Amino acid sequence: MRTKTVTMLIIAFVVSGFSNQSVAQLTGQQVIEKVYNNPSGDDTQGNLSMTLTNNRGEQRERNLKQYIKDDGKVEKKIMYFLSPADVRNTSFMNWSYSDGQSDNQWIYLPALKRVRRISSDSKSDYFMGSDFTFDDLGDRHPNQDSHKLLREETIDGKECYVVESTPKESGYIYSKTITWVMKDNYLGLKREFYDDRSTLLKVLTIKNYAKIDGFWTILETEMHNVQRDHKTTIKFTEVQKNKGIPDSRFTERSMTLGS
Amino acid sequence: MKLKIAITTLLAIVFMGQAKAQEKLEITGYARNYTGVLTGGDNEFSIVQNTLNLKFEKNSNKVAFKVNPYLHHYFDSDLELGLREAFLDLRFENFDVRVGKQQIIYGKSEGVFITDVVSPKDLKEFLLPDFDEIRMGITAAKVNYYFGNSTVEAVWAPVFTPTQMPEMNSIWRPTMPFPMAPTYDYTTAKIKPSLENSELFLRFSNMGSFADFEIVGGYFWDDDPSMHITKQINPITMQLTGLTVRPEHHRLTMGGASFSMPLGPTIVKAEGGYYSGKLFQTQTPTIPDATIERDYLHYLVGLEYSLAGIMLSAQFIQENILDYEQGIRNDEIESTMTFLAKKSFLREKLWLELFAYVGLNNKDALIRPKVSYGFADGFDILLGANIFVGDKGRFGQYNANDMVYVKLKYSF
Repeated sequence: MRTKTVTMLIIAFVVSGFSNQSVAQLTGQQVIEKVYNNPSGDDTQGNLSMTLTNNRGEQRERNLKQYIKDDGKVEKKIMYFLSPADVRNTSFMNWSYSDGQSDNQWIYLPALKRVRRISSDSKSDYFMGSDFTFDDLGDRHPNQDSHKLLREETIDGKECYVVESTPKESGYIYSKTITWVMKDNYLGLKREFYDDRSTLLKVLTIKNYAKIDGFWTILETEMHNVQRDHKTTIKFTEVQKNKGIPDSRFTERSMTLGS
Repeated sequence: MKLKIAITTLLAIVFMGQAKAQEKLEITGYARNYTGVLTGGDNEFSIVQNTLNLKFEKNSNKVAFKVNPYLHHYFDSDLELGLREAFLDLRFENFDVRVGKQQIIYGKSEGVFITDVVSPKDLKEFLLPDFDEIRMGITAAKVNYYFGNSTVEAVWAPVFTPTQMPEMNSIWRPTMPFPMAPTYDYTTAKIKPSLENSELFLRFSNMGSFADFEIVGGYFWDDDPSMHITKQINPITMQLTGLTVRPEHHRLTMGGASFSMPLGPTIVKAEGGYYSGKLFQTQTPTIPDATIERDYLHYLVGLEYSLAGIMLSAQFIQENILDYEQGIRNDEIESTMTFLAKKSFLREKLWLELFAYVGLNNKDALIRPKVSYGFADGFDILLGANIFVGDKGRFGQYNANDMVYVKLKYSF
């Protein structure tokens, strides 16, 4: 009887030990999958204000309104450009597919008065002259990179996993990224981007986040190109989640009629 | 005068509206100086134009309106007031109705007009202005019905608007192949506004993950008049003593389609139209008024591709006169190509662009390099050149009109 009790205690200890270990030692892949699968709602809408600051401190500002809807297979996003004046009423729409199919993209230029399909194979292009590439603004699937948990670290009082991600494809714009993921909500708090010579190129920092309509949401983020000392700050305002954006929002009609 | 009154009235309405609902009325537009100088001869200015373009818009879920007056001031003439668009929108759940003066654009091609036959062209400065300025608004009622990602559009234009041609003494007046200076008879040049003289257009379009496509049809007046020629011949000497040219517009029927689709990193597009009822000039002496009716095809294939941040585009266009016969002044098949290369620098503050039309039949071309710099948000400086190559053909005929120009534009 006594032997049996000791055996049970050992088993319980071993099992609980393994259990604790499995929580503490998530793999890099698992951490990034948790970030990727973080619930963000079926749809999101809000205003986006982008401030570009060069190394002399000169600033330019762009304002957009955006709607995003994800049905699990296709993520549809439409952006309406509100300012500056020369791009006002331009709209941009992107359909991104979970099966890996290339994105579809369209642009509506009010001067041309028609919706044009554009090539989506330019994800390394910078968005509206900012420090964000189109790829930075999208959701990169975890399977596109190899992930390695480097360490655990506390920054700004937040306990984080630090994960290094190396692209599986050759010729990707970054040789690697390092992401600080908050343990309590699996939001990325900071990310470093390294160029093709493995030199630090850009640092992304989350400045503000909150739970909106029950979903963790980034409200302010800054991308700092440390090589050129150029920064872009994006602020999201009037954010709303799961308000039932209709499919008709993501059509030619919607692009031409505006926000 | 009527136009001025109309604009004044509209502006008054708009400003009264502004007083009542200032927070919702949007006023945007631009001020621009456009100065061009010919590089040949005495380096004359080809254009010195100051423009104020205003857009008044008000939108709600159910109704909207837009008024777009513009004012051009030229160094060598009076002020020119115009109304590019002025329309009202009624919006319903699945359809919209737009009534008034409006620009309506069809097709997928860039810089080429194939199925894009609804809005006529302002060719006072050939094809050099921006395309929103080349396309004129027409007075029309347009209904769009939407289902899924598809749209059915019907346009009824009760009043015919012809192509705006350059003035007689303009350097952009196209070459007329007459053996002597003709006398013009404009008695049949205008189309009487009436129900039976209306124009009708129909379009079905679909936008999807695989491709976007359009099917269009139209029953309309040829925007370009046919030149009916009467010869006066001395019965004794049998010498040509006079020519009378009578411009007249004729009905055209057109059916066409266009599509664009991604093929890997490339966008492939095509557009084609079949035109019935077109009158071509002929030199066949037995045809009394020097015109002959023939159907024709107008079509295009094009590619767009991005390489190292450079947007590249090429289009191949053909106009093919069917049942061709000797004597027709146009070639049976006329081929043209367009090329575009465009790249931004300095975080989209600096843009370099090279666009070219190349006429393959006459070995002529129009080459248009441009560089624009965003001096501040909304303020752009554009330097460009228009270089005409060849000595005949659509572009070569303007060989003496090579020019450089600068545009300063402030958008607000």
